[in-house]
Amino acid sequence: MPPESLASLSPQDAWRALPAAQWDEAAARHLLQRLGFGADPAELDRARRDGPVATVQRYFARMPELPKPRLIAELEAAAPEMGRRIAGGDPQQRRLAAQDARERSREALFDLTIKWLQLAAQPAHGPAEKWLLFLSDIWVVGVQKVKNSALIYQHQDILRRHALGPAPQLAKAVSRSPAMIVYLDLQQSRRDAPNENFARELFELFTLGEGHYTENDIKQAARAFTGYRQRLGQFQFAPRQHDDGSKTVFGRKGAFDGDGVIDLVYRQPAAGTFLPKEMVRFYLSDTPLPEAYTDVLGAAWARTGHDLRELAVGFFSSRVFFAREFRGGFIKSPVHFYLGLVQDLGLSVAPLPRQVIGTLRQMGQMPFDPPNVRGWVGGRNWINSATLAARRQLINGLLQPLNENALNGDEQIELAAAYAEGVRHFTLDPARLADWARQPAAPRARLLAQRYLPEIVGTGLEHQLAAYLERGGEHGRAEAATRAALATLLESPGYQLC
Amino acid sequence: MKNPTPLLPSTRREFIRYGTRGIGLLAFSRFAPSFLVESVAAEAPPAEKDRTILVLVQLAGGNDGLNTVVPSADPHYRRLRPTLALGPDQLLRLDDRTALNAACAPLHRLFQEGRLGIVQNVGYPNPNRSHFRSTEIWETASDSSQFLATGWLGRYLDNACSGAPGEPCGVNFSNEVPQSFLSEHAHPTFSFSANGRSGRGGRENLALLEGMLRAHDGGAPGADNAGYLRQTMMDALVTEKRFQSILAGYRAGAEYPSTPFANSLRHVAALISAGVATRVYYVSLSGFDTHANQLNTQHNLLRQLSEGLAAFQRDLESRRLDGQVLTMTFSEFGRRPSENESRGTDHGTAAPLFVLGSRVKAGLHGDAPNLAVDRRQDLQFSTDFRSVYATVLDRWLGCDAERILGHRHPPLGFI
Repeated sequence: MPPESLASLSPQDAWRALPAAQWDEAAARHLLQRLGFGADPAELDRARRDGPVATVQRYFARMPELPKPRLIAELEAAAPEMGRRIAGGDPQQRRLAAQDARERSREALFDLTIKWLQLAAQPAHGPAEKWLLFLSDIWVVGVQKVKNSALIYQHQDILRRHALGPAPQLAKAVSRSPAMIVYLDLQQSRRDAPNENFARELFELFTLGEGHYTENDIKQAARAFTGYRQRLGQFQFAPRQHDDGSKTVFGRKGAFDGDGVIDLVYRQPAAGTFLPKEMVRFYLSDTPLPEAYTDVLGAAWARTGHDLRELAVGFFSSRVFFAREFRGGFIKSPVHFYLGLVQDLGLSVAPLPRQVIGTLRQMGQMPFDPPNVRGWVGGRNWINSATLAARRQLINGLLQPLNENALNGDEQIELAAAYAEGVRHFTLDPARLADWARQPAAPRARLLAQRYLPEIVGTGLEHQLAAYLERGGEHGRAEAATRAALATLLESPGYQLC
Repeated sequence: MKNPTPLLPSTRREFIRYGTRGIGLLAFSRFAPSFLVESVAAEAPPAEKDRTILVLVQLAGGNDGLNTVVPSADPHYRRLRPTLALGPDQLLRLDDRTALNAACAPLHRLFQEGRLGIVQNVGYPNPNRSHFRSTEIWETASDSSQFLATGWLGRYLDNACSGAPGEPCGVNFSNEVPQSFLSEHAHPTFSFSANGRSGRGGRENLALLEGMLRAHDGGAPGADNAGYLRQTMMDALVTEKRFQSILAGYRAGAEYPSTPFANSLRHVAALISAGVATRVYYVSLSGFDTHANQLNTQHNLLRQLSEGLAAFQRDLESRRLDGQVLTMTFSEFGRRPSENESRGTDHGTAAPLFVLGSRVKAGLHGDAPNLAVDRRQDLQFSTDFRSVYATVLDRWLGCDAERILGHRHPPLGFI
């Protein structure tokens, strides 16, 4: 049955669960691609049996744990001593100490990034970790300004712990996140000199959106968040720096503190529609939904006390989510593209920060380092000649055997440790390639297409692919031709989309 | 086989001609054999000797104008900035009332040589203090209350860009394609990342990839994401090879500092001197959002800016290309006149901008800001940024500014 179109759904009906008759392989594939990072065959089978609601409920039952990476723990432990060295001593030593701290923080960020990617690459965890990526693209902090990677880990952990609970609780926890306190200058905000940065972004980019507050609301709210401090990664409240006087925010008068302002925020209708609109942008389409649809969802979500799990389950199993307009045609983010390749090629994320993180940066999305407080804009912004070249380089890297001799000592140690744990394939398994290459060209073309670009099966393109493999076979280069054909499939527009 | 359509180009000349009619490269390259695409890519078209080029430099984050072009004689300056006001040894004199931040020493030299103009106190009515909204206003040249889908340079390209294959109309050095470039019609643009790198070539599967691109042909190129991807890939393939060889073979006529920003400008100089038909370049330098501890941060950024721009100008001069190039800076807003309690400044309104080039009328243009404001007030702009754009469009790029900006804005005297 072809998917129903958005236009055929009234705003009232649009958010009801997808009827069972609409649940087919294409719908399940769409769900897994958009909700996570790929349509893993085993997950696809199970989702088809369970149906959309149960599948989404399963993925959002609880957030996976990300144990504190070793270098983050070491950075935390060393913080008091490093602080003393940076504060005291002669200028030369202080400079060296600061440089040392930057270096350690950078290494720790690499450790965190790799550990997170390894967690997110597991098909069963993909949807929850993508949800976390979405939330951190709302509640943005960036390592460039925060500088201390331990705070970055802690911030992600705060989001993780509140990712499936009430949004106001999440907002309150984030306002106490040491990384946020540094990132948006709450650290410097005092009773007699409130800094507006956090209050402004809280309204504009985190909860309400432009047009739903006044400049005066920002000035008054900034007073409510005065006195929020962090020291060595601990939230502290400095009562003498806090302005406990009366403020008027959104037309209400009272001696609000920060939590009080957040409670007022979530009484605004715009707080109900803001996050759903952001979900549309992150998960569904570059074009916003007509407001009539998000208004209905926003009001319903507000009635749940802005519960994030209820929002997620409702949204991802809705008829809107599966509407014809949203099938295919959405550009994968660099993280999606990378983790999708890892899943589709049956690989593990290599414990090699230089290569993995360098590639993500060139594709335009280095985790924990967004371009600014708005986060990544996404859509067509992901694609230009430079980022496309980086996507191609990534594909070529993953299809060639890893050149272990070119690795530095630390990298070889990391790799040896991973092998010792039984992790094997960081690049395409040569045995798998050899298996494919033994098949005749036509079935080989079909197999590759079916696996990596199901939309082209049976089209002229599949025949072109077969002809290409045929010619490669003539020259006795079947494996090389198979690798090049696969690279081309993965590089083509179809694979950049989901 | 006979041509299935009269649109099919079969010779290199035809191929180029179809391109110059403004059809996106892919519109015809899906009919074109790859040897034609490649032969066009490999051969540079004749350089137009007299074409003018604009290099736009974005200072992202909101540069603090008052500590860039400093009203050094105004007593209000020191009143508003008890810790951030620059002292006599941190200033370079422009006139009796105005000085440059000493971090801009190379720009100061260009000012004295008559190559640098400064447009003072540029802004727009009802200023917006959101980075994103105000950047959007500057890049789309809209009113504060108006939302435009296209950028001011994109609309210029819609009016003026001929779009030869392998010759992008716009080239940007930033991690995202700038909003300024967004246009009604698709034009080839080329992106380097902010550090000036693009990918490497070397592909044996080019023919198969071209086949894939053709096979994914849906509706009109650029109309949907698949079309957009297809067109970007094809354009990039053609351009990439050519640019890589230009950059690799470039011998600069001046020494550039080893910053990513200067490296981007070096690449711009290489492309200009190779006679690439690109008319607009966009380079971004970010980090100007100085809410706390501003002095050092801004000093370093202004130094990077000045050293990079000066090297670029010297390089162009050494090749006698300086008469063809105008470089202009902009930032989404200036900052609050009074400093905050964190030795920084918050989002503000108007700020000065630089125009650099051998054909620029050097000196200070427009009125200096009035600093007789109280601690919570902002500057009132004296020159609308669209007057700056109108000047560039009318007198530099040679097109009808009113058509592109939608209104008449009086031009200024810097060109």
